[in-house]
Amino acid sequence: MIVAELKPFKEIENMLRDYKKVMVLGCGTCVTVCMSGGERQVELLASALRMAGRLERNEIIAGEKTILRQCDPEFIDQIKDEASNYDAILSMACGAGVQGVAERLAGIHILPAMNTTFIGVSDGQGTWIEACAACGDCILDRTGGICPVARCAKSLINGPCGGSKGGLCEVSKNNPCVWQQIYARLGKLNLINLLKGMSQPKTRPVHPRKLVNPKNAFG
Amino acid sequence: MNDKAVPPCQAACPIHTDVRGYVSAIAKGDVEEAIRIIRQVNPFPSSCGRICTRLCEKACRRAQIDEPISIRELKRFASDQTLGLKLIEIPENSYEEKIAVIGSGPAGLTAAHDLALLGYRVTVFDSQHVLGGMLSQGIPDYRLPKDLVKKEVDNILALGVEAKTGLSLGQDFTLEELLKDYQAVFIAVGSQKSLLPKYNGVELNGVIAAVEFLKQVSRGHKPRLGKNIAVIGGGHTAIDAARTSVRLGASDVTIVYRRTVDEIPAGPEEVEHAEKEGIKIIYLAAPVEFSGNEKVQSVRFIKMQLGDLDKSGRRRPVPIENSEFEITADTVILAIGYMPDAEVLKESGLNISRSGTVLVKDYTGITNIHDVFAAGDVVSGPQSVIEAIASGRRVAEALHHYFRTMPDKEEKNFMALKELDDGIVKLINKSERQKMPALKVEERITNFDEVDLGYSKDQAVMEAQRCLNCGAGAVVADNCAACLNCVRICPYGIPFPGKEIAEIDISQCQACGICASECPASAIILQLEAKENNRAELEKAVDIAREETPEILIIGFYCRYGSPIGPPFDEDEVCWLGKFCTGRMDEHQFIYPFELEVDGVVIHMCKNDECRFRDGNQWSKSHIKSAKKILNEIGIGADRLDIISEEDFHNFRNKLHALGINPLRTGKKVKT
Ligand SMILES: Cc1cc2nc3c(=O)[nH]c(=O)nc-3n(C[C@H](O)[C@H](O)[C@H](O)COP(=O)(O)OP(=O)(O)OC[C@H]3O[C@@H](n4cnc5c(N)ncnc54)[C@H](O)[C@@H]3O)c2cc1C
Ligand code: SF4
Repeated sequence: MIVAELKPFKEIENMLRDYKKVMVLGCGTCVTVCMSGGERQVELLASALRMAGRLERNEIIAGEKTILRQCDPEFIDQIKDEASNYDAILSMACGAGVQGVAERLAGIHILPAMNTTFIGVSDGQGTWIEACAACGDCILDRTGGICPVARCAKSLINGPCGGSKGGLCEVSKNNPCVWQQIYARLGKLNLINLLKGMSQPKTRPVHPRKLVNPKNAFG
Repeated sequence: MNDKAVPPCQAACPIHTDVRGYVSAIAKGDVEEAIRIIRQVNPFPSSCGRICTRLCEKACRRAQIDEPISIRELKRFASDQTLGLKLIEIPENSYEEKIAVIGSGPAGLTAAHDLALLGYRVTVFDSQHVLGGMLSQGIPDYRLPKDLVKKEVDNILALGVEAKTGLSLGQDFTLEELLKDYQAVFIAVGSQKSLLPKYNGVELNGVIAAVEFLKQVSRGHKPRLGKNIAVIGGGHTAIDAARTSVRLGASDVTIVYRRTVDEIPAGPEEVEHAEKEGIKIIYLAAPVEFSGNEKVQSVRFIKMQLGDLDKSGRRRPVPIENSEFEITADTVILAIGYMPDAEVLKESGLNISRSGTVLVKDYTGITNIHDVFAAGDVVSGPQSVIEAIASGRRVAEALHHYFRTMPDKEEKNFMALKELDDGIVKLINKSERQKMPALKVEERITNFDEVDLGYSKDQAVMEAQRCLNCGAGAVVADNCAACLNCVRICPYGIPFPGKEIAEIDISQCQACGICASECPASAIILQLEAKENNRAELEKAVDIAREETPEILIIGFYCRYGSPIGPPFDEDEVCWLGKFCTGRMDEHQFIYPFELEVDGVVIHMCKNDECRFRDGNQWSKSHIKSAKKILNEIGIGADRLDIISEEDFHNFRNKLHALGINPLRTGKKVKT
């Protein structure tokens, strides 16, 4: 899932300086799950914006709406009519959602309320960790299901740098050394020999990437 | 799991009263709401609040933790507090049909009440001059004061019900005659005839029947009983006869019951009252013979032991050979049972069972005679007031359907929520049941004053707050994003990941609301406290408080479990709103008052280790912290929101006065 967090309030306020009627638009999928851009956060942010606006003598009307996914045009169409009453849409989705809405509702200025941070997994109550870098060339078969591209500070793919101490990363001491984790996991699986192979350097993907599924995208 | 199941108290109640509904209304001090809920199904709240057999309490799930909720006493409280309140409008007469009800006990009067409300013209006939059946003539005053019964009866008559008293079916009129003037007859003459055993000496003077004796006393007679009284039996009538004898001056009263204290039908509280009043109870004994010269002088008993199970599922008492003993008695009161007066019914042409009850088709109360219905103790044999009310209600409804040629309504099935799991039981705090205040023994045995005095308001609220709100907890809506936050944070571990969305077993949910306050999709609905209501309640409170135009307006949220009786302290500037645990309040609930231009918000929580829901305080603190951050960012200032106790409220207040009014009212931002 994609993890995103709310931008600093000041930044959002500045973005909206010139708008009177803003739709705060939540997204019901990833950012709801990571508790930063779902219906509840929409309610809070809209309320905060209204109050801040009044204090700045820039009273804004902040409408509240949440759709299931902002990365699908069909869901965006559900708010098409309503959106035309607003000067701007403040999207609480990830960057993809913001662009999805901007594409579909091209006549309205769409602004991002969030910083999209990573693709991650849940690490217990209220915590998410980065887990995948979307590199386009997966090597998890060789690393015990732990991604060194996303989880090693240096994205090393052929073993540790040698700087870790007590199992912790030398770059950020709060993080475990992911290569030590890979080693331990493979040991448990009796697959240490996998480490003898070499991973080829990755080619940087050429942006923008596109996925076409020939089975359902004819022509 | 079945989300249509109702709380066990409601399922067990013969009229399926929304017990949880009225108990939770009392828990927040709203007695009017409580009595409205009760009155929807029960025209006798005062009576039932005193003498109901409370099947609800036997089913109450709180008993799994400690003791059941005192549901009956709470009903009494709601009704005592609202005696003058007019709850029901006089109905319009919408139908032509006239209905005769014979018998003004709870069954007959409930039917009259329901039929009058439906718009029928109803006349009630009774052989007595006082209406109410056993409520006014039978059940003694010290348990159920007559003036209260009269008020309930009068409320029913006020609906336009006509009463014709002193007229007896079989003596003063016949069914045939009635059917000429009325389109239907509703028979509710109850069970009036005492059963008499066939022992030697039963015909002696001084051997009397309990029901007749109690009726006599109810009518104001004071029969001379003598000093030594033996009462035979173990039901309500036996205990009532014994306690009444004490009040008539008998110095030595003994109840003799053939089974043990565990089987005694009157129930432990009645037994306790009787024993306190000096009544002796001999268990496991039955009479063999009454002796005396014209007048009874003594009774010979034989000891019993419990043998195999009988048809009723109770162990059958069997005599122990050579164990006879004797007690002296100036009066013997027989309370071994009573039944309908079958003669009159048979003569009227009704089909009668072997035990003298009227045979009916089914719950519709249809008898073998066209247009004649029957309900209450005359159909069931001696039961209870609440069952008579239930029967009256069902048959009245069937009669309406019959007249309006609507199909019989299938009896609704009330499925009870299942028991609490052992794991959940362990997590629920114990809390003692409130004791009913009562007259001291010496104050009661010389008169017929009501013994139980009723809960004080404080007691009632605290008792009501013991209710677990079974089945009124959290429900997951379709827009659940399956984030599983609820699964991770529930202090009871109840939500679980379902196939598509999170699921909550409503039968186990404790309704703390923490999951609802934390759900990022706002997809969890707390049935007890809908979000819209919260908002509306706050907006209304602010509007009202504004009218008093205080310089500074503070909204105070307090935990009702921490301060059951009401706001924790009084302050002119604070407008209090009670919450059943502040842990269920989300961040928005703390910042929204500021949008309504309130100047400050304080939160008064329960003590740290006393949270009813384990983690409530921790969640309140976390939500308040996050709300403070937002207030800072928008320029209203975090210091306007705080958790306080009575002691540090003044600090908060001084700080707030220094900050001045909500900047939204001046448009001046606070520098942060
Ligand atoms: C001493 C005693 C104590 C009890 N205590 C409790 C208790 O604590 N809790 C509880 O739930 N239940 C108790 N009961 C049982 C309860 O009172 C009855 O189950 C209930 O009253 C039955 O209601 P009913 O309307 O069917 O009949 P009843 O209340 O018996 O009313 C029948 C009415 O019909 C009238 N009637 C009878 N024959 C004729 C006729 N031929 N013509 C015209 N009118 C007639 C009678 O005068 C009476 O008014 C007690 C009963 C007794 C006797
Ligand atoms: S705890 Fe409350 S809702 Fe549950 S059974 Fe008892 S009275 Fe009814």
